[in-house]
Amino acid sequence: MVPSTPTQPPAPGPSRGRASWVLAGAGLAAVVAAVGLLWRGGDDAPAPSAVAAPVKASRSPGSHGGGGGAGAAASGVAEAEAAERRFSDQTCFPELARFNDGVTLDSFRDQAAPLLASKDPLVRDYLMSKLSELIGDDAGKAGQVVAWARDAQGAEFKVLLSGLRGSDAVQKPQVAAKLLEAGMDPGLSIERRAGMLSALDSQKRLTPEAMDRMADFARDPASTEAGWAATRTLGRVMARESQNLGDASPYLDRLITIATDSPDEQIRHLAQTAPLHNSPVLDAKTTDRFARILQSEGNEDGRDAAAQVLAMSSDKEQTLKLFADSFNREQSVCVRWALFRFSARVAGRDALPVMANMAAVDPRFQALYGTFETLYAQGNVDFIRVWNELPDQNPFGCMDRHQ
Amino acid sequence: MPRFLQGLRALGGLTLMLTSPAAFAQSTPSAAMPALKGESCSVQGLMDQLRQGLGSSSKAYRDYLNAVLREAAVSLPSGELHAAFDRETAPAMVEQLAAALVARSEREAEKDAIQAVARRALEDRDPSVRAATVRAMRRTGALEKTGDMYERLMRDGSPEVRMEAAKNLIEDNQYVYSAHHGPATDMAVNAATASTDPKVTAKILESLDTRRMGPEAGQKLLGMLGHESADVRRSAALALGGVPAAQMGPAREALVGMYRGERDAGVRKALVQGIAELGFADAVPALRKLRSVDPGMAPEIDAWIRVLQSGVQEWDLLLREKQRLQQVH
Repeated sequence: MVPSTPTQPPAPGPSRGRASWVLAGAGLAAVVAAVGLLWRGGDDAPAPSAVAAPVKASRSPGSHGGGGGAGAAASGVAEAEAAERRFSDQTCFPELARFNDGVTLDSFRDQAAPLLASKDPLVRDYLMSKLSELIGDDAGKAGQVVAWARDAQGAEFKVLLSGLRGSDAVQKPQVAAKLLEAGMDPGLSIERRAGMLSALDSQKRLTPEAMDRMADFARDPASTEAGWAATRTLGRVMARESQNLGDASPYLDRLITIATDSPDEQIRHLAQTAPLHNSPVLDAKTTDRFARILQSEGNEDGRDAAAQVLAMSSDKEQTLKLFADSFNREQSVCVRWALFRFSARVAGRDALPVMANMAAVDPRFQALYGTFETLYAQGNVDFIRVWNELPDQNPFGCMDRHQ
Repeated sequence: MPRFLQGLRALGGLTLMLTSPAAFAQSTPSAAMPALKGESCSVQGLMDQLRQGLGSSSKAYRDYLNAVLREAAVSLPSGELHAAFDRETAPAMVEQLAAALVARSEREAEKDAIQAVARRALEDRDPSVRAATVRAMRRTGALEKTGDMYERLMRDGSPEVRMEAAKNLIEDNQYVYSAHHGPATDMAVNAATASTDPKVTAKILESLDTRRMGPEAGQKLLGMLGHESADVRRSAALALGGVPAAQMGPAREALVGMYRGERDAGVRKALVQGIAELGFADAVPALRKLRSVDPGMAPEIDAWIRVLQSGVQEWDLLLREKQRLQQVH
């Protein structure tokens, strides 16, 4: 199931760590938090400065330094020395500057090998970025790296494809075409094809032909891991197009086809949740297609996602009616909870009569209905604010099933 | 995790396992290659690498050096690191060393290490160094650990320092607290209203999410609507659009009341946006009434009415639809 929300409501107070704020504060971005674990990556990850300094969970109450000021007090030195023993040493590579200045694309594989053998994650990140720089916007160099990636192994394979993915040249049609061909090459292992197709996810846009091939492939029962990667790439490029105010509908069209037709439940689910990342406003045709998923998907996680996507339908009246009907037929309390709360996402305060009927059908929702009614009466007009004000965002433990 | 996803994650290179770099079985490099041997990091060694590398044309290498110092910071000798920080005068190097001390503080290797950074941000004679140390505290927990530092930075004599401090307040609220920590929002509002630099005040307010703002800060924000700078009035109107439900009534009244007397087109545009955010579809009647005040604003108001009538229930998505609409026309 796609947890539609963070696991805990935000509760202000200095005792809560910042990590909690980040979790609680993402609003509807957190709607897709769990999907994000699979979905996000690469340049979608949090900014380095945000992740480089995590708050440790083991913070002891009352031990806040506050505005102490005396950094070198005796207790501070002891604390610092203890900390030095507690953290593992970071390794440094004094000669890396010479590598950086001297390496070329031709010498990259040979010279990077000993660095890769160190298994140092910072060095590996560096090698990926350095390779992107070496490729630049040269399609010939990018083609060379695609060729290497056809037989490279382990960490080197990852570095080659990540370097390619981050390069300017990967946006050139001939390079993207090479990656797509490799991803579709039955002579390569499924894992390798998955890597090739994943490397296309930094594309600014995909051609209709590329979209069709990836969607057809994702519906092939034999595509497994590579079909999943193709679906994720379609979703990521759609999200980027949407962010740039481009047209997401060609991607959405293919993703709904995968969401409906793929025999693999995981691939179907990935396609069903893809629109949660860009929340497109659905036209009548797309609304109908997602309505069918809500009514016929056997996996309740998929029905849950469909309810969330349908909340962005342009036809509010039809969607509320669909939600009301589905609620009556639905056996899963988690999907019922999705239909209930996303009714508010459909129409805000105007959805309250529909939600009241749902609460009459299932008394477990009566107290929740009272909470929504109160929040709207207080003047809240935005679904995100209403959601963030709920005293319990996980009343049926639906999120816990996926932890 | 689905059956094949573990393999995919490993293949895609999109997630990194944070493995310990303890053991290093080094392959033999050829004569032409540098001896790429790993060794324990030292303050001096890192300083040498940084001093040489920060001027490198390779962003990949500069990013690596930044990351390695922050990662190594927790296990470097505290005294040496503080001494290097105290001695250093080049702003770029000061920024790196300050970031290392902040990392120690954030990871609770040395909680008070950030105080040395805060002191230098306030007291160093060189404004470029003060600005650099301020930058080193960005997107961290500095806001909760440095008392009234930000209000004092608002009064710094250097515009560069004031603007860097403003960026910290904005980015900390956005990325560290996701706008969910009222005291952090209030601190940003207090700093913005304490500033005598209209550019800085506007910079903070125009992108501040005020959904958790306290009533006192809300009052201060209302007061900024009367500011002599149009830029400040514009940013205050935008900030007031997002206030908590309890503050919505007075905010709406203030924005609607101000519209007729406001002469600046940019401020009027912000007032309309603030009114839209405070009411969603309920704002449509008020916007219709304002339509005749200034014919020049009618297209803008019409665009808002059209978007609000779509019934979309989330502000970010409404904004997106508005942008899309403007792109089409």
